[in-house]
Amino acid sequence: MNQDNILNLLGNIVGNDFASNKEEDLFIYSQDPGASPPRPVDYVVMPKSVDEVQKIVKLANKEGIPIVPMGGGLTLSGLVIPVEGGIVLDMKRMDNIIEINELSKYALIESGVTTGQLLSYLNENYPNLQPPVPDAPSAATIAGNVLIHGSGYLSQKYGDHGSMINGLEVVLPNGDICKLGSCSVSKYWFTRGPIPDLIGLFISSFGTLGIVTKLSVKLFYKPKFRDVVFGLATEYKDIPNILSKVTESGLAEDVLIGMQDKPDWMKGYIFVIVYVTGESQDEIDANTKVLKKIYRKTNARYMKTPPRIREIYMEKPIFAATAADFRKGGGFEYVGAFIPLENIPEAYAGGVKISKNHGIVPTIGSRLIGQTHTVMVFFSYSFNRADPEDMENAREALHETNLLALELGGIPWKAELAGQKLILEKMDPNYKKLFKSIRDTLDPNHIMNPGNWEVK
Amino acid sequence: MTVQNEKDWKDIIHRCFRCGYCKFTHDYSDFNCPSYKKFRFETYSTGGRLWLTFGVINGDIEWSEGIANVLYACPTCGNCMENCRFEKFNFMLVDFIEVARAEANKNGFCPENQKFLLERTTNESYFNPYAEKNSDNEDLKRKYELPDEAEWVYFIGCTSNYRQKDLRDATLRFLKKAGIDFTLIDEHCCTSPLLRTGQLSPVKDFMNYNIQKIKESGAKKVITSCAGCYRTLKFDFVKHGVDHNLELYHTSELVLQLLKEDKLKFKSEFRKTVTYHDPCHLGRHSGIYEEPREVYKKIPGINLVEMKRNRENAWCCGAGGGVKIGYPEWSIEISKERLEEAKQTGATVVSSTCPFCRTNLSDANNAFDMGFEVLDLVEIIDQLDYEVIK
Repeated sequence: MNQDNILNLLGNIVGNDFASNKEEDLFIYSQDPGASPPRPVDYVVMPKSVDEVQKIVKLANKEGIPIVPMGGGLTLSGLVIPVEGGIVLDMKRMDNIIEINELSKYALIESGVTTGQLLSYLNENYPNLQPPVPDAPSAATIAGNVLIHGSGYLSQKYGDHGSMINGLEVVLPNGDICKLGSCSVSKYWFTRGPIPDLIGLFISSFGTLGIVTKLSVKLFYKPKFRDVVFGLATEYKDIPNILSKVTESGLAEDVLIGMQDKPDWMKGYIFVIVYVTGESQDEIDANTKVLKKIYRKTNARYMKTPPRIREIYMEKPIFAATAADFRKGGGFEYVGAFIPLENIPEAYAGGVKISKNHGIVPTIGSRLIGQTHTVMVFFSYSFNRADPEDMENAREALHETNLLALELGGIPWKAELAGQKLILEKMDPNYKKLFKSIRDTLDPNHIMNPGNWEVK
Repeated sequence: MTVQNEKDWKDIIHRCFRCGYCKFTHDYSDFNCPSYKKFRFETYSTGGRLWLTFGVINGDIEWSEGIANVLYACPTCGNCMENCRFEKFNFMLVDFIEVARAEANKNGFCPENQKFLLERTTNESYFNPYAEKNSDNEDLKRKYELPDEAEWVYFIGCTSNYRQKDLRDATLRFLKKAGIDFTLIDEHCCTSPLLRTGQLSPVKDFMNYNIQKIKESGAKKVITSCAGCYRTLKFDFVKHGVDHNLELYHTSELVLQLLKEDKLKFKSEFRKTVTYHDPCHLGRHSGIYEEPREVYKKIPGINLVEMKRNRENAWCCGAGGGVKIGYPEWSIEISKERLEEAKQTGATVVSSTCPFCRTNLSDANNAFDMGFEVLDLVEIIDQLDYEVIK
């Protein structure tokens, strides 16, 4: 069938205003804010309901058209830029907040709901509840975040955001609509088990197994008071001990660490940023006192937080995209790698070396996930979008960092195509075989985000 | 607003990261961008427009009617500037869109409807975008017994002079009663519609003409009741090298000044619930938010209530940036959303300080039978008894 006929059929499903193959629309969807080169797109479609998604998937399956679901499009690693052309399914019109269960503490939402939208809705209507929010702009979707093993606020205390999924509604590649989690048995979307847990299949598989249209995510009690307590360290080798002691205190809602060579006053320091919470200012003060003591005992020291810095870190979500303008060029990408705590010192040292070799100001940070069970280390590389050589330089730095992360026993997170390839090279062959067999079973025509996680 | 030459914007436009803050209100509770809210493809966000424009500059995509349509489907309300987090260039976002439109126009891709603005304005019988026979305002001068030379010029603006005559006449009555020494000129379009739609060829001539006429009147001060004229005279003239050294006032500023100096005293009440709609050109583009509100609050009997999105966050009326002429149906849909927001406040009067907003809000009010009274601030004052101490 020719392209115009396909477009007509897509238009019949979602309405002509929300299906396009116009060059100016496809241009934007052929690239993301990261360093991946643009790749062509044939159609962009914005469904409003699960029925529409189902019809689109059936059409794509029949016609053998690749299909790539997209949320906020902010992974920076090109995960929603099609590798083999086809349809980008921009999910942001499916933006209903269906239910907030205040007692069982979950939000049932459509997959186009942004983090900003849910955050704002809860702040206004359920101010005692908070959702998992990534360190991404508020235009990122909740679904996009949790489905890539996202991390961010509350990760230290409660684990990665993927683990906060209670249930999913998924359109499978054959068009079947499947409910996973307690919602497959009960009217409550309150828990993931106790049944065979298939939800994990849809996390970090980057849309290769189905399209999530609805999800339930855990919400958490929001303490009345919250503050940041900064610590300063100077040696990478001290980081594991500092983080262990901080988390063992049980006082930290979240923990970040970071280092950056610019501005000059930051050079030479590792910043430890601990979020403490409580029901009163007295409680915050008491917790701060304990943390000061921990800093002293772990070769770090307490830093009084300047108001401007405090304001930056108290914003939720923090505006992390400032890195995009470091080289006055509108771009940055990072390798965010899950790395075991014991190898963090080497990760930082190696990251600094890579940055310097590429003439990029070292900018490395970390978020603790599930106390110290995992540390997501991000090695950020800014580039000038208007300078192709600078972008290539960033891509090379990203590649070297992927290698470093894997060498250190870590795994690049939401890896771009090249990173996925490196992970697959190291992966247990039977893991790959199992994944391929699941994928081939669910998607025999290989229409779902082909090119990603390709096991040959 | 510092994008004055090609280098300024071509060296900066690629710095947009497309993070998406430009689409939302400051608390993310809603979209603030009328264009993104309507069309929903990423293309129609400010980030999308900037990336498309950079794509053209970079040679990745060629100018086309489609790209021009994307650029023109934006009321240039400036909400994106308020929420973009990149402080080094967020104040330039509307300028980027306007210069990109000028580039599209240079390359032959100005949409047909917007071309009418240029055709009509440059027609020597009109000199206004409404294709109305040009008024030299001599009849009004006679009616209001205005001198040829005065301290002030009331720059009426085309919308007030040809479409919102009640607003114009209310302003004339107020100025007269307030004892302001003012006159009118044979004004031509201030060029706002041309600037907003990237049709720049006659702009400087029009600006010079208007300034010459004002100077000939001996005036040192200019007052206007139009937010669009105000923004243009205050900022765009200078930007285009027409530095006029005139004191610029919006009517709300003068009224407030008279109230503060105890020269104006209201003697009757306006016992209605009023909500104020911030015009983009007066608010986000010129930074005037509180002056009109202070005036409303000083009107006896008035119950001034705020819409959820107000001041920097105000939802646009949908008329600006060439959208009213380019997309008439969508334009009043945008106003409808504003009126629905006004409904939630319990107000019966929606008031603004811009004839263009007044037009579009009234059009939506009528088209969707919303039941509001739509009035300019000056029209409310015109309904009151007041005393001016000279």
